[in-house]
Amino acid sequence: MFFLKQFIFSFISTVGFSILFNVPKKSIIYAGLTGGISWILYIYIDKLTSSIIFSLFIASTVVGILGEIFAIIDKKPVTIFIIPGIVPLVPGYGIYLSMVNLINRDFYGFAKTGTEAIFSSGAITIGIIFVSSLAKLLKKRRTL
Amino acid sequence: MKHNDKKAILRIALYAGEILLRNGAETYRVEDTIEKICQSKDLNYVNSFVTPTGIFVADDQMDGINSLKRVKSRTINLRKIAKVNRFAREFSHSDMSLENALLELQTIDKEEKYRKSVVTICTGMASAFFTLLFGGGFYDFILAFLISMIAILAYQKMEQISETAFLANTTSGALIALLALIAKKIGLVQTIDMIIVGSVMPLVPGVALTNGLRDSISGDLIAGVTKIAEAVLIAISIAVGVGSILELWHHLYGGVF
Repeated sequence: MFFLKQFIFSFISTVGFSILFNVPKKSIIYAGLTGGISWILYIYIDKLTSSIIFSLFIASTVVGILGEIFAIIDKKPVTIFIIPGIVPLVPGYGIYLSMVNLINRDFYGFAKTGTEAIFSSGAITIGIIFVSSLAKLLKKRRTL
Repeated sequence: MKHNDKKAILRIALYAGEILLRNGAETYRVEDTIEKICQSKDLNYVNSFVTPTGIFVADDQMDGINSLKRVKSRTINLRKIAKVNRFAREFSHSDMSLENALLELQTIDKEEKYRKSVVTICTGMASAFFTLLFGGGFYDFILAFLISMIAILAYQKMEQISETAFLANTTSGALIALLALIAKKIGLVQTIDMIIVGSVMPLVPGVALTNGLRDSISGDLIAGVTKIAEAVLIAISIAVGVGSILELWHHLYGGVF
């Protein structure tokens, strides 16, 4: 029940962001699915391992894989699904919080939230690049 | 090939690249698209160098022509990226005339967005559901919905007035903080944290930071570093907006937040 709720919330959030990012109408549902599925995976793995970085890595790998799949189904570039898909995962609030800490001269808080934000987006990036390089490799194989 | 044709192809490639860059495509995609368009018409020595603020395209043979495009503002508009992507594929696999290609790019460039009201409501929904994801309650949900809609409208208005994003971010950050504090003063919510978490979500540069890191790792170092710097600057400007209102409120009414 908890996961279903979380899925619905993140799905709707991602759909909202897809419209803000002008995703084509037909692709919105795919973008929402990417966001929703990766979010529940993120909280599930986070509960199991209690490592934010690791769960973000896995979740963003799934974003990448789903993006590649939907790109084939929908015949659109992968970015269309990845950018809205990572929105629930990206540490936007973390970056904001670290800046608030900086302004309040809470340097310890700034260092803590800041590094966490950088590491989080690093994990997301690595996950996505991992999948896209793999996909490129597979495509090259097929054409050779 | 005639010199004029060469020029026209380069112009098409540059225009396609410009649309991609202005609408938030990754750096490698812009470079690839430019080079693909040129190579499909037998311009095999074209190099492109893309940074978030400008595109350079040049033929590295000595007789080459080159051109440059300054890009001042960037948003995320994924529909245009998809369209240009399809255009590039069609252009390189067919013999579309150069005039038609340019016209098609112009129609893509002028493409309408979703209606403003739809965008505003959807942004509100996105923010409102974000508060639920982070564990907010019913009032947090409703307030984040309303406040983020007001904030995004203010953002768009300010962006039209001043060309830099800094002022727009600061203003909407300040608005969010002010409205959240008023809601707390009335007694609708206990803390303003959840409302702020949700409402700043459409503004915060999480995607920008991730894209910057992605560019850096893929080897587009200048673009990557620039994007990361931009993300930090945006975050600072939002924090300045929120922080100054919180500070002011603290001095006027006291209390903690």
